[in-house]
Amino acid sequence: MRDSSPAAQNDTIVTWDPRVPLLIDIQDVLKIFKSAVKTVHALDHISFEVHEGDFVSLVGPSGCGKSTLLKIISGLLPATSGKVSVNGKAVDAPLDNVGMVFQSPVLLKWKTVIGNVMLPVEFARLEKPPYLEKARSLLRLVGLEGFEEMYPHELSGGMQQRVSLCRALVTDPEILLMDEPFGALDAMTRDELDLELLRIWDGKRKTVLFVTHNIQEAVFLSDTVIVMSPRPGRVIRKLGIDLPRPRAMEMMSAGKFGEYTLQIRAMLASSSGTPGAAVGSTT
Amino acid sequence: MKFSVKNVAEPLIFFVALLALWEVLVEFFRVPAFILPPPGDLYVAFTAKFYILYKHAMVTFIEAVGGFTLSFILGVAFAVGVVYSRHLQNTIYPLIVILYAMPKSAFAPLMVIWIGYGLYSKIAIAFLVAFFPIVVNTVVGLKEVEPELLDLARINKGSEFDIFRKIRLPNSLPYMFAGIKVAIVLSVTGAIVAEFVAANEGLGYLILQANYSLDTALALVILLILAFLSLALFIGVEVLQRKLAPWSAEVRQIEGSF
Repeated sequence: MRDSSPAAQNDTIVTWDPRVPLLIDIQDVLKIFKSAVKTVHALDHISFEVHEGDFVSLVGPSGCGKSTLLKIISGLLPATSGKVSVNGKAVDAPLDNVGMVFQSPVLLKWKTVIGNVMLPVEFARLEKPPYLEKARSLLRLVGLEGFEEMYPHELSGGMQQRVSLCRALVTDPEILLMDEPFGALDAMTRDELDLELLRIWDGKRKTVLFVTHNIQEAVFLSDTVIVMSPRPGRVIRKLGIDLPRPRAMEMMSAGKFGEYTLQIRAMLASSSGTPGAAVGSTT
Repeated sequence: MKFSVKNVAEPLIFFVALLALWEVLVEFFRVPAFILPPPGDLYVAFTAKFYILYKHAMVTFIEAVGGFTLSFILGVAFAVGVVYSRHLQNTIYPLIVILYAMPKSAFAPLMVIWIGYGLYSKIAIAFLVAFFPIVVNTVVGLKEVEPELLDLARINKGSEFDIFRKIRLPNSLPYMFAGIKVAIVLSVTGAIVAEFVAANEGLGYLILQANYSLDTALALVILLILAFLSLALFIGVEVLQRKLAPWSAEVRQIEGSF
């Protein structure tokens, strides 16, 4: 099997720069959903670390608990057992230094673009004027200058998702949790937004946890790709992606990129029990 | 609906043709006027009894709008209560469902005993029929919120009141309006039915009077006035909705009929 060859093994060793402090520490997290009807074992002894400024992707088949894991990290959902800490503090309530982007833009239909971006500021009862300035500059950053007073239904899907990205960034959170944010977009718009996200990440150096089922997207964006098994979700492998930054679309056709995607695909296929089964899409 | 010449002209021509056909057929078959008077008689009845019609229409209007207003205030308040209180949902809500299953107009004779002969028993019936569509639709609108929005609020330490004010309430407006549109038309029906049972004024009372004297033309005129009244109220709500909740068009409309 490809990923058991010595060369491949070397690739999987993730070497952390000791000067970069640890930000998110996930240890032995287990999640079981119990209802009257059935018990679902969602996450199985998940452990990994994320350092400050890292771009980490979680890849796995649908229903492997990726989104559940994000919720646990953000403190919106308690783990059944195990420990999650952020900045050395155990997470036991919703974190206030995270921004969230979901698969659908979930914008308020009755608010303008700028109003939607300002929603977290309103909830957090922060002083508005400085953040209004920030919201405008974020919108400028994603190419939505001049759209501030428009309503969500007047925008395309890609533009709506850009607004939701601005909304996640407006309070300047340390961590960005992204749950298949571009999964519902067409391939071209997704590429565009991937590049934009990297540009923003380069400039602001947020720590990003990015859930996707798109292998190429994960490799293209990340420093580390965490490959997860089907339910109950386990970590199969933490794969360090050694590609130069800033990343460019041309890299996708380079040899190393292909090796990474093939490797991940093989891991996913063997973990699902059906060799060669198409797990996730790579378009 | 767009108001192009074709859209207006087509129904107009159709109605004129229909009226003409009515007039001709009634003449041709010598239908007695107390069975079906020709449209000309309706016009005569309308102009001759205009003042009486106006006076009684105002009574019915006040009853319907009064009942509707009451159902709106109490209905929305009750919907909010049901959404936020499990106790209310477990206790009063089933009671309300049983009440809903009863034909509301059957309460009209009881209302006379409980509230009396005048305006208030009519308002009570109009209220009863209008209450349910408002409650049910508002409850759905308050509950049907994308869970991600609630996550977003929790992450940013938004209060429960903030979630209500900034997310749930505006989210419920298109649903609420769907309920209001049903309710406002039903409230007119409620007022009329209540007047049938016991009243000495209002269009329902007037229809009965017209029936007793076999004045079919007057009864038909009253029906047309009622149609006009309901339609005017409905359009008024529609205009208000466009002003207060212009995003309604983006929401899948559930024309609630609870």
